Amino acid sequence: MKFEHAACFLDAGLLSSVVSVCNVCHLYTVNMFPYQKHSSLPPSPSSSILHSSALKMASILQKLITPLFSGPPEPPRNKVTVVGVGQVGMACAVSILLRELVDELALVDVMEDKLKGEMMDLQHGSLFLKTPKIVADKDYSVTANSRIVVVTAGVRQQEGESRLNLVQRNVNIFKHIIPQIVRYSPECIIIVVSNPVDVLTYVTWKLSGLPKHRVIGSGTNLDSARFRFLMADKLGIHASSFNGWILGEHGDTSVPVWSGTNVAGVNLQTLNPDIGTDSDEENWKETHKMVVDSAYEVIKLKGYTNWAIGLSVADLTESLIRNMNRIHPVSTMVQGMYGISDEVYLSLPCVLNNGGVASVVNMTLTEEEVAQLQASASTLWDIQRDLQDV
Amino acid sequence: MSTKEKLISHVMKEEPVGSRNKVTVVGVGMVGMASAVSILLKDLCDELALVDVMEDKLKGEAMDLQHGSLFLKTHRIVADKDYSVTANSKVVVVTAGARQQEGESRLNLVQRNVNIFKFIIPNIVKIIFKSCPLCGFPRHRVIGSGTNLDSARFRHLMGEKLHLHPSSCHGWIIGEHGDSSVPVWSGVNVAGVCLQGLNPKMGAEGDAENWKAVHKLVVDGAYEVIKLKGYTSWAIGMSVADLVESILKNLHKVHPVSTLVQGMHGVKDEVFLSVPCVLGNSGLTDVIQMTLKADEEKQLVKSAETLWGVQKELTL
Repeated sequence: MKFEHAACFLDAGLLSSVVSVCNVCHLYTVNMFPYQKHSSLPPSPSSSILHSSALKMASILQKLITPLFSGPPEPPRNKVTVVGVGQVGMACAVSILLRELVDELALVDVMEDKLKGEMMDLQHGSLFLKTPKIVADKDYSVTANSRIVVVTAGVRQQEGESRLNLVQRNVNIFKHIIPQIVRYSPECIIIVVSNPVDVLTYVTWKLSGLPKHRVIGSGTNLDSARFRFLMADKLGIHASSFNGWILGEHGDTSVPVWSGTNVAGVNLQTLNPDIGTDSDEENWKETHKMVVDSAYEVIKLKGYTNWAIGLSVADLTESLIRNMNRIHPVSTMVQGMYGISDEVYLSLPCVLNNGGVASVVNMTLTEEEVAQLQASASTLWDIQRDLQDV
Repeated sequence: MSTKEKLISHVMKEEPVGSRNKVTVVGVGMVGMASAVSILLKDLCDELALVDVMEDKLKGEAMDLQHGSLFLKTHRIVADKDYSVTANSKVVVVTAGARQQEGESRLNLVQRNVNIFKFIIPNIVKIIFKSCPLCGFPRHRVIGSGTNLDSARFRHLMGEKLHLHPSSCHGWIIGEHGDSSVPVWSGVNVAGVCLQGLNPKMGAEGDAENWKAVHKLVVDGAYEVIKLKGYTSWAIGMSVADLVESILKNLHKVHPVSTLVQGMHGVKDEVFLSVPCVLGNSGLTDVIQMTLKADEEKQLVKSAETLWGVQKELTL
């Protein structure tokens, strides 16, 4: 009797009637009992009650349902794992669930009680969802066969702290997490959310051994969303009708591409050539500053940010899972572009589909914007080369 | 001319029409925010208002949601501690108040929350009902989330046992949302097949399949999640969005929610308990009269008496 699902619990009384076990730990019996599913966590009061009388429980199930197909169940087709069940991880999980993107969701964390509580709370809402399987474990075997793994684990910024301060602490955590993810889902795409996201995406790429197009940092997808909201708000339109891109570092040195900002194809810089500069009477530059400061402000007010980043991760997940070829500003390996010679990850407009980053859009940037990107790259490289054991 | 004026010509002469499907959530704790996010992700409202007494937390939450506007279809998200921000709401979700600590029963929270509500409710009514200050608030417009969540938990557990999606498992839990809720075993069915017909002992002592334990898991569900993560939020948030959807879309869907049950099933006191109700855009318009067994009715009456026992001690 071989269990490939390491954390599976089976009531000893059932073993004698089991004929075989399939590799996603669904067991089916040939003779008397129709097939039953077991949770992947060790028994708690609740799961024992459900499973200890499984033998006798078969009678309603038998009378009610005649199985027509008794092969092993199919593996999931659209499984996503979220690593880390803090505020950001759970916001990502809930956004992904409510957007109906996945047929299986796995959660992983080191805090076992919190993890189980969050899993149960989501499972209790399954009537309202279209995701039939929600599992959780501290053991990474629960993440097997994921198409996408969202990494939110790690320490977060305290009030006033910059993202770059978090680096070495988070690298140490990633050294434990990333190899396990790849072990169980060698074909997956990893979305890194933990900060500082550009450095950690580089770290993830190094630790995972995955090809660079399958390691993506959530990058400036959120900065651009904030930018589009703030700009659109000033113009009285919906954020999706305002086109504007913020590239480069997700953080204090992000680069707003003013030359690309437009509504219905009407270029704003043509209407106001001073846009984004210090001599602009309308002070549009202030809007970019608000984007950079947003996270600090929300953290100051409520202690952390989660909803916006959760929604932005679900947006990326949708493009990847639905093979959409949509363009998003996400963090990708930019060595060789815009005169950058170091191995750094920065956000550029990327075409995302079910293979990952299919291609990068070559934006026409001004000299100043290119210089800003290069400066971001240097800052990041300075940090990266001091990292231990990557 | 400003950039905006060069870009956009305003052509509408009338005043812009206000929101048509506005929802307010009172309380931006874990339950309030889970409700807000579930409502937003289901694209139910064109305006969302948040109210709380903690001003920084309130502003932070509103900003965090606004920063996600690109990904949502709700154009206006507003927040203030002043209730004027809730004007013209179609639905107001009240999540404010103290919550259960580990091991604490819901009934313990009552007097503390009554005192909080004595401030909140008149403020809501004043804004929503400003044209008719002398009207009492009609009872079809006051709904308790009740056993909508208990029934969802029950259907989830039933789904796990039968390897089916919860939406194909039908079962109703009525009465108190809490320790004395009543599972109506005689109604539990899949595709119209009554499970108690297949297993007459279902829900009783001596049932080999121990279905009664499933109900116990529902009752204990909240306590277990609170013990593990400190509170519950996601399931109740989604269940609230489910109710809001039926109301705003005028679905006339039947949900087990809490309404005035005096005179039904032998209940004599003025109490609110969950029974299956029809929800539409006027609110709770009809109640389904369940055929309950004698012992189920007895349990319901007992629930009512427990609640009345607590209610009559309250200083309102």
